[in-house]
Amino acid sequence: MKRIGKVLSLLLMLSMVLSACGSKSASTGEDTSLKYIKDKGELVLGLDASFPPMGFKDDSGNIVGFDIDLAKEVCSRMGVTLKLQPVDWNNKEMELTTKNIDLIWNGLSYSQDRNDKMTLSESYMTNRQVMVVLKDSSIQTLADLKGKTVSLQSGSTASEAMDKNKEVKDSLKEVVKIDDNVKAMMDLQVNGSDAVAMDEVVARYYSEQNQGKYRILDETLSDEQYVVGFRKGDQQLCDEVMKYLKEMKNDGKLAEISTKWFGSDITTIK
Amino acid sequence: MTQDQINQLIIQLLNGSVMTLKIFFFTLVFALPLGLLLTVGRMRKFILVQYPIRIFLLVMRGTPLILQLVAVFFLLPLGFGIHLDRFTAAIVAMSLNYAAYFAEIYRSGFESMPKGQYEAAAVLGFTKSQRFFKIILPQVIKKIIPPMGSEFMTLVKDTALVSTIGITELYLVAKDTMSAKSSVIPIVAAGVFYLIMNGIVAQAFHMLEKKLSYYK
Repeated sequence: MKRIGKVLSLLLMLSMVLSACGSKSASTGEDTSLKYIKDKGELVLGLDASFPPMGFKDDSGNIVGFDIDLAKEVCSRMGVTLKLQPVDWNNKEMELTTKNIDLIWNGLSYSQDRNDKMTLSESYMTNRQVMVVLKDSSIQTLADLKGKTVSLQSGSTASEAMDKNKEVKDSLKEVVKIDDNVKAMMDLQVNGSDAVAMDEVVARYYSEQNQGKYRILDETLSDEQYVVGFRKGDQQLCDEVMKYLKEMKNDGKLAEISTKWFGSDITTIK
Repeated sequence: MTQDQINQLIIQLLNGSVMTLKIFFFTLVFALPLGLLLTVGRMRKFILVQYPIRIFLLVMRGTPLILQLVAVFFLLPLGFGIHLDRFTAAIVAMSLNYAAYFAEIYRSGFESMPKGQYEAAAVLGFTKSQRFFKIILPQVIKKIIPPMGSEFMTLVKDTALVSTIGITELYLVAKDTMSAKSSVIPIVAAGVFYLIMNGIVAQAFHMLEKKLSYYK
């Protein structure tokens, strides 16, 4: 009897802890997101600093990239300072809800799931999920992947694209989830997997860095849109950022930044 | 990677090591005394003291440290409105976890003390606190040096886990550089850095052990 009591009280404690985690903070209903940033004078951008060319570290350890340049320009037009905060990509939603960061701007692809959890901006760039194989691999089309192993970054939309392409996914032997793209590429090199599913911009960046090592399949898994992610309900802040992105499109700044990183203007802001 | 890039990498890794060392030392500063308090409570016969501590030790040693880091940093603000900055959250989680392990190491030391030591101290007229600090504790410290050395080395390596709550330390620096340069050199270099740090820890414990073995 005594033991049962102990077990019960332990379970009770556990359920209390869990329910405390599950309870949502009461929202006032009013959107003060823009005022919050302006009062703070600082916009904290969360990123996984291992995502070239969108956001990564240069030789001297500074975080640079296409998205970083965009964010810097938007912040200087907004009159706030930009703070870059590296986060673990799998924890990004929690980083937002706990207000440790204000937005995610790091090659974030649109997905229904993310749209449910965050407020997302309009798309600023198109991205495709592609398959990378070794240069001399026999794989030419998605159909050739039958019975093969594909690796991808966990928590990325590559894994969602894979889930959507049921036909491809079911034909595979295995999908290996790895914590970042470069390790997935290494897995490919050591023949741990036969192909890597990843964002096209990143795939192109790596192929350029390692000339003649990789090949990108012509067939793609899916087309995606890059967006900026905000805390759920931070519509005002989202609108403000969009306003400056459009302004930058009109005065040519956007084209200038895009040309710097990609050689041409590949942004899709209207 | 070119020679210049490797030089830059070493500077980056040194910067990352500063954070790693900060976490290492701050964790020790809090975990070592806290562990001792836990042991003293754990060895009490009084159930209201002993049982909560035993549950605490079970939770801390029975769940992954990486999960505890995430819990302290994300669940405290979400569930209880307690907002800690990244560094503080890391130190809190690491200290609580390591205090639990230290507590059990201390306990193994205390329980290996022969009863005669306590009796002799009483006969010689030492007070309770004199007995604890002057007779028992010094002997316990001698006994627990080897397991403590192992635990210190584990701590050096476990600092890598704090990257999960966004702290840029040695491992994250290496990982990010690896992504930017698509090269394994940064990870190998970081491994050498950890090895050097632990080499120093091992040597320090070796010297300490020698110094304290004054009866041999």
